[in-house]
Amino acid sequence: MEQSVRDEILSKLKAAAQKEIPPRPSMPPLHELSLSREELIATFTKNLVEETGIVHRVKNNQEALEKLTEVAKTEGLKKVMVTTDDVVAPLDLPAWGKKNGVEVMTPRDFPDRHSYRNAVFDEAEAGITGADFAVAESGTLGLVHNKDQARLVSLAPILHIALVPVDRIYPVYEQVIEKVFGNVGATGWSPEIGPAGSSTEPSTRALAEGLAEVRSPLPSQFVFITGPSMTGDIQGALFKGMHGPRKVIVILVG
Amino acid sequence: MDIKTERFTELAKIELQNAHTRLFLKLMPPVLTAKRDAALTTFPDIAAAQAYGASIRAEAIARLPELLEEFEKNATANGAKVFWARDDTEANEIIKNLAVERGVKYVTKGKSMVTEETSLNEVLSHAGVEAWETDLGEFIAQQLHRPPFHIVGPAINVPVQEVCDLFMEKAGLKEPTLDPVQLGYCARLFLRDKFHHVQMGITGVNVAVAETGTIINVENEGNIRFTKSSPVTQVSVMSLEKVVPTMKDALHLIRLLCRNCTGQRLSAYISMDSGPKKKDEIDGPEELFIVIVDNGRSKIYQDLKARDALRCIRCAACLNICPVYRQIGGYAYGWAYSGPMGQILNPLLLGLDRTQELYRASTLCGACKSVCPVGIDHPNLFLYYRAKDVLGDPNFKSKDRPWAERQFFKMWSWAASRPWLWNWGVRMVRPYFNKDANDGVISKGQGPFEGWFRNRDMPAMAWRTFHERWKEKLRSKG
Repeated sequence: MEQSVRDEILSKLKAAAQKEIPPRPSMPPLHELSLSREELIATFTKNLVEETGIVHRVKNNQEALEKLTEVAKTEGLKKVMVTTDDVVAPLDLPAWGKKNGVEVMTPRDFPDRHSYRNAVFDEAEAGITGADFAVAESGTLGLVHNKDQARLVSLAPILHIALVPVDRIYPVYEQVIEKVFGNVGATGWSPEIGPAGSSTEPSTRALAEGLAEVRSPLPSQFVFITGPSMTGDIQGALFKGMHGPRKVIVILVG
Repeated sequence: MDIKTERFTELAKIELQNAHTRLFLKLMPPVLTAKRDAALTTFPDIAAAQAYGASIRAEAIARLPELLEEFEKNATANGAKVFWARDDTEANEIIKNLAVERGVKYVTKGKSMVTEETSLNEVLSHAGVEAWETDLGEFIAQQLHRPPFHIVGPAINVPVQEVCDLFMEKAGLKEPTLDPVQLGYCARLFLRDKFHHVQMGITGVNVAVAETGTIINVENEGNIRFTKSSPVTQVSVMSLEKVVPTMKDALHLIRLLCRNCTGQRLSAYISMDSGPKKKDEIDGPEELFIVIVDNGRSKIYQDLKARDALRCIRCAACLNICPVYRQIGGYAYGWAYSGPMGQILNPLLLGLDRTQELYRASTLCGACKSVCPVGIDHPNLFLYYRAKDVLGDPNFKSKDRPWAERQFFKMWSWAASRPWLWNWGVRMVRPYFNKDANDGVISKGQGPFEGWFRNRDMPAMAWRTFHERWKEKLRSKG
């Protein structure tokens, strides 16, 4: 029966008179594409600060740990949840915590989902994560969720601290999207932000050749984070920390 | 949700008397429009950016069946289970069964206009499953049993005192307060407990991507991320026009959506799901269900012109700039969708007969069209619906005009297409027509014409028509 509903809807759509597919104009210009590395960092910072994010920049991992110590002190952190992603793991935050009187939990410490959920909701005063990407055009972090980047760490605690190597800052979303989703089909996408219209070709081709089946799996969730959680739903009055973090602190490394 | 689209005029009059609504509408929509305009200046070429959005949605609608198949195939390959529903009843039944089979006591919901459309919450509640709206505005609107006042801020007009009373009663607020921040914090704590223990979450979908089978949500609060991270079961409901060809298309649309909607470069959270969580992940849904809802859209799709309404990405820029919305707010439109967006969608989804006033309550000024990031020509559609309604079209559930009106216009069209009769008629009618003229202006009419003169005047008919004067001129020369 399920099949029949699907077929009925699709055949109705297919039976409709068809319009010619309107031609795509060329992709509109985006000025972030012409920025130098330092300009990208400055643009990322400016845009995130506009969204009330706090941005620090340090030279290396050693300084990052020092900055983290400073933040932990000013925020009065006693217990934090930390992911195990490739930015944060090398910093050995459990050892850092012992030295600085901060209890450091990681999602891996928990035998099951249930106890982890209790800890991240009720105990963690901050979530500390790395970021896989950052985007200059809007001061945005990009996190690929997987076993080392649990979803609730950057969401449930009232404070989110993110460490971002500066070479992970990209000008615009398209480049990041290509890195995360670009392995669709063996033919892949054209890497340049080219004249669109061409962009629909590879996927159609991939489908035709049955390549969709052999692609490597996509991340279950990819998220763009721009500043703290907020709402204006009561009379337009701005309120930060509606459900997620009230404060986002980004430490740029490099 | 009760559908009140038939009571447009009555509800509009009530809102016109509401001092709080009036004050609110004087401030909020102009501010949102100004924020939008400022945000758009971040594009080097605003017109090109908007036009590209229009071309994405135009292509998506033109290729709709093919893209849906591609989306389903890829979403399934990602591990999601895709359901199809012909109408509201089927959609609600699928979701209700998923909840009941899993024995969940309650669900958390991210704002989803299509589930407003299908009245999912009522069906769940009848089945003993509580549905908690978790977007702050949606939470307030739900508890007050009101339709959305604005698609982006559903309860943004509700006075703080009323929110305070509501939270004292239903959200565990201990001390009364008129501070929106404290009220927000109260809702945070109340809903946080729901997120903490929730077993099944329900969300809408802003964009679905054919080439990857990905569904995308756009939000500022984080309630949708919670709804997709904390529970073991996720159900995402999408109306079938949400699909676009590629991820890059989706991101450009989101660029436009955020700027046109709240004047942000990007909303706080854009979450993109491709299947349920992997085995080794500790949070995220173990099972992901996607419900594709038709509910009248495949029928709309049959009409090459009306289908343009399906391009809409619900940014609400047209509400904020509309001179009618700015006077009456969202309640008068009587259903899930308000403003010009509602005036083009509600008539198609509910039928022209039940939405008579909606596509007529417009000055056809085209402000809506001028801001639309996906190239919808609202005034043109209003005229199209009016014509369909008058000429009669069962596919649109048109409602005939009254017998007298039809006869009048039949005679009118017969006379107007015969010059000799027209000219004779003009000479006959003129003295009667002009008898109340004052300074060359007629300010009141009689019988069926009375209403027309309520807010405007008509110039008196010239005592000699152009043709008459022209003839005279030729005669005097000759």
